[in-house]
Amino acid sequence: MRTVFNTNDTQEARVLTDALLDDLSGSNPYIAKNALEIKDLNFYYGSYQGLKNINLDIQERKVTAFIGPSGCGKSTLLRSINRMYDLYPGQRAEGEINFYGENILNPKQDLNLLRSRIGMVFQKPTPFPMSIYENIAFGVRLYERLSKGEMDERVEWALNKAALWGESKDKLNQSGLSLSGGQQQRLCIARGVAVKPSVLLLDEPTSALDPISTGKIEELINELKLDYTIAIVTHNMQQAARVSDFTAYMYLGELVEFGKTDEIFVKPKRKETEDYITGRFG
Amino acid sequence: MNQMKPINASIFNSRKRNNKIGLFLSMTAMTVGMLFLFWILSVLFLKGFAAINWEIFTASTPAPGSEGGGLANAIVGSIMLIGCCTLISTPIGVLAGLYLSEYGNRSKVASITRFVTDIMLSAPSIVIGLFVYALVVAQVRHFSGWAGTIALALIAIPVVVRTTENMLQLVPGSLREAAYALGTPKWKVAFSITLRAAKSGVITGILLALARVSGETAPLLFTALNNQFFSTNMNAPMANLPVVIFQFAMSPYDNWVSLAWGGALLITIAVLGLNILARVVFREKVQG
Amino acid sequence: MPDKHLSSQFDSDLNSLCSKLLEMGGMVESQISNAMHAFTEMDLESCNQVIEREKTVNDFEIDVDLACTEIIARRQPTARDLRLVMAVSKAITNLERAGDEAESVAKRTKRIIEAANNPGINVAEIELSGQMAISLLRRSLDAFARLDAIAAADVIKEDKLIDEEFRSFVRKLIIYMMEDPRIITPALDMLTIAKAIERIGDHAKNIAEFVIYIVKGADIRHLPHAEILRQASE
Repeated sequence: MRTVFNTNDTQEARVLTDALLDDLSGSNPYIAKNALEIKDLNFYYGSYQGLKNINLDIQERKVTAFIGPSGCGKSTLLRSINRMYDLYPGQRAEGEINFYGENILNPKQDLNLLRSRIGMVFQKPTPFPMSIYENIAFGVRLYERLSKGEMDERVEWALNKAALWGESKDKLNQSGLSLSGGQQQRLCIARGVAVKPSVLLLDEPTSALDPISTGKIEELINELKLDYTIAIVTHNMQQAARVSDFTAYMYLGELVEFGKTDEIFVKPKRKETEDYITGRFG
Repeated sequence: MNQMKPINASIFNSRKRNNKIGLFLSMTAMTVGMLFLFWILSVLFLKGFAAINWEIFTASTPAPGSEGGGLANAIVGSIMLIGCCTLISTPIGVLAGLYLSEYGNRSKVASITRFVTDIMLSAPSIVIGLFVYALVVAQVRHFSGWAGTIALALIAIPVVVRTTENMLQLVPGSLREAAYALGTPKWKVAFSITLRAAKSGVITGILLALARVSGETAPLLFTALNNQFFSTNMNAPMANLPVVIFQFAMSPYDNWVSLAWGGALLITIAVLGLNILARVVFREKVQG
Repeated sequence: MPDKHLSSQFDSDLNSLCSKLLEMGGMVESQISNAMHAFTEMDLESCNQVIEREKTVNDFEIDVDLACTEIIARRQPTARDLRLVMAVSKAITNLERAGDEAESVAKRTKRIIEAANNPGINVAEIELSGQMAISLLRRSLDAFARLDAIAAADVIKEDKLIDEEFRSFVRKLIIYMMEDPRIITPALDMLTIAKAIERIGDHAKNIAEFVIYIVKGADIRHLPHAEILRQASE
């Protein structure tokens, strides 16, 4: 394959070369790629249909937020992506969810492998009953064999990513439960990040936290999105507005509107969306 | 206007009166219960202390009619029996409890297991002793420490199964989900996360099972029997505190009776110690 | 504003904001009316009234701006509510300036009266454009009250007429000034007055543009008129 540019402008040449190199390495910032493509997803709790015909693309290395009233299906959708529903008999999903081209709803899909590539952080902080160091090392050890030195590095790296290193580096051997609520949640995020997934699913990560911890985690999301694709469910609309690049509004199991966050919050296309965002629920 | 006045004075006053009555009745009930408990304990301590001296720990049980003697062989025997019982019943009980809580859940096998466990929990210990007698002792035609261990284990295992399952059920589902979300396989979630989280509760269950079997006499009567001499041979009859107390308490010899009280006191202290230990362990968990 | 929020306090805050805007608009309208009357009748009394009431108009601007800021701080409005608050905040600036222009008309008129040098020029264009300006302002405020994008688009179109009247009056003035240089001083005052009226028309047009922004979410400032009409009727 030969690519030839003709240009006298050095600046332009640099830009074009960068673009070509990025494209070859698969991460061209000018061409948006989808990490997840959801096609005709339907979800059932027994006989009750929780999701109806969802069609949605989640771009890589961007934050996509899901908003909507209680029971609209946003958590259900998130949990379908890493197939958490498989833990509970009677819950099933139909349709396709393509993770970089592979359909993860395929019954042959190795669930443990899937969940190591698509991580999840829950609403309630759940540190494992072990030391802070072990909390992070636990997930890593499942799939990688690292020497002590390498593991130390990975733990430090993960805690740094979660903006928790400074507060915890002197007490790595203390129980994870000795941290405050906000710190515990950041520990959970560090744990999720340590295994280097491609996608991070956040299910109302700050609902149980105070404003300062919430702020720290939102700042964290801003930095994490440089390396990870993030999908976040939140019932706080202002948080979705602050934190996300794309927003999806869901209602009663259906996707009502999906678009760039700036557009949704200044000039939404659907009246239902506008009513929800502006607080007109009557 | 006085803001502290109740809206309806008569209802308020009658509630206060009922509260006082209820409180009085509960205190009375508690006092009655405590009264008997302290009575038993005080008699035990008074009579038992008289028998406690260094000799109890150094000398073996005396022959009928001879002076002095101690309980050394019985103490060692009991410790060995209970120790072996623990080694057998802990793994079986914990694994069964783990299966019931994490794997079986609603399957037929799980329901049957639970049913059987519940029955065995309330089975009379003498029946279990007879069972082991028929199965083991009658076959090899002699009593043994192993038979005693098996009988004690049959009593301890249901207790461990029950408490393990209950403690595991108390672990919140969100913790398991967090482990699954990392891609942890099911067995690892059960062992490294759930069991670990319920660790102190499970240990408490084991300690309580031990406390229970420490005082069981009937099963040992038909299995380990007793041994007048000091012996650590598990294949032969084994001395143990409960049976010694049984024998000595009704005997005409004074030193035997005194030794029986001493033995009773020792068992009581051991059981008390195990219970306190269990509580301390459990409280440590709650404080994280 | 139609459609109720879950918070009735929010509803009433927004309604009160809009009422204040309309009230200020009415005040400015009457200022312009009085100023025009002062000019056509050369009435000193009216001039002084307009100049004095200008202060109230300025107070209004400060008041409404504060209300907008408070709503943003407390409610974090989004979508239509956000566009409304942003538009109101800008519209009152236009209204305040229109009020300034009315005061300018009054001041210049007063100067002509006090210098007693009215050149007696036919000022039909000024009177006509004055009436048109008042009408445009009233119609833009009307369009705001009803959130009527089509009516607003019409206002934007008709502002051009005022501009034409202004230009023809300037041409006339130039001829008069060339013929009789003694009337230059009062003529310049009249030029200022004519310009002030033309600017009032522009302010009315701006307010109409904001109405379309609120209703359609389209920022149509600086767009050609055909495009504006298309966006307004979508």
